[in-house]
Amino acid sequence: MGFFHNILLGFQVVLDPTNLLFCFIGVLVGTLVGVLPGIGPVGAIALLLPATFKAPPASTLIMLAGIYYGTQYGGSTTSILVNIPGEATSIMTCLDGYQMARQGRAGPALGIAAWGSFIAGTLSIIGLMFVANFLASAALRFGPPEYFALLLTGLVILTYLAQHSMLKALMMAVVGLLLGNVGLDMMTSLPRFTFGIDELVDGVNIIPMAMGLFGISEVLSNIDRKVDSPREVLTTRISNLWPSLRDWKDAKWPILRGTGVGFCLGMLPGAGAILSTFISYAIEKRISRHPERFGKGAIEGVAAPESANNAASGAAMVPLLSLGIPTNMTMALLFAALIIHGIQPGPLLIKNHPEVFWGLIASMYLGNVLLLLLNLPLIGIWVKVLRIPTQILFPLILLFCLIGAYSVNSSGFDLVVMTLFGAVGYLMRRFRYEAAPLILAFVIGPRLEKALRQSLLISQGSFSIFINRPISGIVLGVAFLLLLLNFLPYVKNRRQKLKEAES
Amino acid sequence: MNKTMKIHDQLSSLFWLGLSVYVCRESLRLGVGTLRNPGMGLMAFGGSILLGVFSLALLIQATIKKTTPNASPTEASTLWNRVISVLFALLIYAELMPIAGYLITTFLLMGFLFWIVKKGKIGWVVISSLLTTVLSYMIFSKWLNCQFPEGFFGF
Repeated sequence: MGFFHNILLGFQVVLDPTNLLFCFIGVLVGTLVGVLPGIGPVGAIALLLPATFKAPPASTLIMLAGIYYGTQYGGSTTSILVNIPGEATSIMTCLDGYQMARQGRAGPALGIAAWGSFIAGTLSIIGLMFVANFLASAALRFGPPEYFALLLTGLVILTYLAQHSMLKALMMAVVGLLLGNVGLDMMTSLPRFTFGIDELVDGVNIIPMAMGLFGISEVLSNIDRKVDSPREVLTTRISNLWPSLRDWKDAKWPILRGTGVGFCLGMLPGAGAILSTFISYAIEKRISRHPERFGKGAIEGVAAPESANNAASGAAMVPLLSLGIPTNMTMALLFAALIIHGIQPGPLLIKNHPEVFWGLIASMYLGNVLLLLLNLPLIGIWVKVLRIPTQILFPLILLFCLIGAYSVNSSGFDLVVMTLFGAVGYLMRRFRYEAAPLILAFVIGPRLEKALRQSLLISQGSFSIFINRPISGIVLGVAFLLLLLNFLPYVKNRRQKLKEAES
Repeated sequence: MNKTMKIHDQLSSLFWLGLSVYVCRESLRLGVGTLRNPGMGLMAFGGSILLGVFSLALLIQATIKKTTPNASPTEASTLWNRVISVLFALLIYAELMPIAGYLITTFLLMGFLFWIVKKGKIGWVVISSLLTTVLSYMIFSKWLNCQFPEGFFGF
């Protein structure tokens, strides 16, 4: 009874004309962002966040979440037609999607990507409803030590999934924690690391920081080369967007397996969504009777990763909405959006703001239908968008970033912050440091510090509180094990080299 | 690891090491407190120590690792002047916009960006930047109600 009542409440919220409009704008912008390489969901959310300040929290979350899962849909279009992934989660789709397009099967490739995304997206929402509810109920029993353990484990997993050097990812996580220290101390209300700058009393603003590290640095790293060749978009007519019965037969299990992998890995902090696309592709290739078809236009190679990335985008909401832990950059911005609207993400969100949680759930069902309608019949428009030259696109992205950063506080200081972080982000890319651990640690940092200090106050200075309490003890144990696992390849490598030297 | 990467790692680790020393000193000044009553510098102190240790590890790792010759001379092809001039333009925009207003500064900035990125003809640059400025003003200021500064000309 309670469940149906809640779902009805959600649909009541989302069917409000304003929320419907917000949902539509969200998925439309999301698709556009997914289609255009260069500006990701983070930049788009940061850009549109200030425009939602006057809107109710539910509308805000509905639109911003729409951008997030909309990008997953849109990203497949560039992968299939241009062989350039619109998003990192669409990299695997390039392998078989582009080959299908070259063989004149762009229509079925786009079709199965959209349908796979729709099915996976819808199934992941069902998963989200049940898992988030269960986790939130369990998390109500959490105290500061449990939260500290959980947040710390999140940071460890994040660095574990680093794309380059784990050491550098750890360093960036620490830098993020230090940046989170800027501003008023939460317990004494005294300023720290503000250098006498009034604007820093509230801390470094996440919006200009994220836009600088991701948006500006992306543009800078694209304009620092003289490679200005136009993108080659397939010009053949796209037909047969509805996959044939044979295509459905080949793709149905990959879609379901991709959904399962995407949902499970999507809940992990870090690059869960990206990882899920690689793993689901690898699984399909391994269990296929004709693995030689992969990379040459196998429809399973499109269906599985596309389903995985959409399932992962729904799953990423689980830790945010139930535990208040953002697992990736986009979730960090949604976290910031909720805080700006006076809502504390965490176990009490579902209880205290059911209209936000259930409204979001219902909007995701509706958003998936809207995305299907947007992506298939309007494919011609998205192909035209793809033909916009990057030389025009990059100045526009810079302008959008400037407007987005300025609109948060109507402050020129935020523009300076964004530009400085843009320069830092550019150098970080060149020096192979990753920005994601920095941003996530920056968001988690203040909560981690609060949990640590509260725990120490409760235990009167004893660290045993983290081990004596069963949940925090187990979670910290997992974190420790994960850290150890990180070092295993180094030890193995070293032993191998020693053996080789001896022989 | 190639030679460029080695130098990059050595330089960056020295930078982070310097930062960790600075934060460590500042956090001690703020007061780390005791474990029974943690001070507001505790987290920063712990973080700076960790950053210092990691930086040293990276410095040592980069220094002792054998280098391979650079595969391709990518460094030579970096258009640093583009990057630096765009960053300067953004900083000037940040300082100038609250004084001169959105329309004038955005028009100038877009003109500069279109010119430096596309190297188009002057007429194309002027029309594109004018169109971008006006359209963005209409969408964000009039439609989405973003508050842009008017500047000394009143627009």
